[in-house]
Amino acid sequence: MALIHLKIVTPQGQFFDADAQRVMVRTTGGDVAILPHHIDYSAALAEVGQARVTDANGQIRRGEVQGGLLHVSNDDVQVITNHFRWKDE
Amino acid sequence: MAGASMKDIKLRIRSVESTMQITKAMQLVASSKLRGARARMEASKPYMKVARTAVWDIALHNTGAQSHYVIPREIRQRCYIVIAGDRGLAGSYNANMFKRIEWDSRDAMCCVIPIGRKAIEYYSHGRMSIITSAEKVEGLTLEACGDIARRILESYDAGEYDEIVLAYTSFVSVLLQKTKLKPLLPLDVRDAPERTSRQMLCEPGADALLKDFLPQYLAGLIYSAACDSFASEQAARRVAMDSATKNASEMIENLSLRYNRARQSSITQELTEIVAGAEY
Repeated sequence: MALIHLKIVTPQGQFFDADAQRVMVRTTGGDVAILPHHIDYSAALAEVGQARVTDANGQIRRGEVQGGLLHVSNDDVQVITNHFRWKDE
Repeated sequence: MAGASMKDIKLRIRSVESTMQITKAMQLVASSKLRGARARMEASKPYMKVARTAVWDIALHNTGAQSHYVIPREIRQRCYIVIAGDRGLAGSYNANMFKRIEWDSRDAMCCVIPIGRKAIEYYSHGRMSIITSAEKVEGLTLEACGDIARRILESYDAGEYDEIVLAYTSFVSVLLQKTKLKPLLPLDVRDAPERTSRQMLCEPGADALLKDFLPQYLAGLIYSAACDSFASEQAARRVAMDSATKNASEMIENLSLRYNRARQSSITQELTEIVAGAEY
């Protein structure tokens, strides 16, 4: 099965760096889900929003995102944000 | 006579000893702070790499490199963001930075945004005017960096400066730190890799996206440079205080030797006097 490589980074550290099935984040235009083979894409993230990551095993994790940028380039997906926090931590 | 000199030497030994205690304590503090600072510095590295590539992608391949954030202007007014230390006694850490800026800033009108108390002190009576400043490098928050970033972007948009340069000290190892000048604006795209893949979709528009993300990106750059500089400062202080402690213990050794010699010679003299007195 095709996977995306997802990175979630903030200036304070990296929170995710692994393969994933899909990621859903809130951009300024609304919620966006990125699946494998997505076109190269950049979008501004909403000031406050939720990220939903479905990892390679199908487990879903949620996190809080505070602004930033979503960048997709050749199945490398990057969530670049100021603050990030996993909800289950 | 010998007694007085013995007393002098003893006093000197004591004063060197107390200095050594201070340098030793500073060295220990610096090494423990260095550990935390290095961890923060390492944590900020992935962000820099990822964010830089993303900005390059947007700036170069979607605005056709025509954005005014990319096109270099003729440099009349340059703005330096100088990150130096909060305190002294860190070897040549602060001096190196100021010297580098003096050297680099000869060719244009310059103004400065000092970060760190030593930098503020240095630039408060120089030829460069201060735009804004941040008092502390230690514990500099992302929010404070964001304020600075927004400020410089506004001025850059208004054409007040033609170039913005970030000056910081990069931590290579505990023994080696390098001062670095990194152009923030216009965006330095010389190292950008050639993008081979297809057209890219930007929401909302490449220009808007760039305008929206740049303040955060610059804040992140300043923040990570501050982490880097702080680690360098602690490393520089640790090395400086280590050699100060070594020098002090060497001095104490020499002084003790002199003290013992003086003591021995005074005893010998007394003995000679007694023996000489007994012979008659």
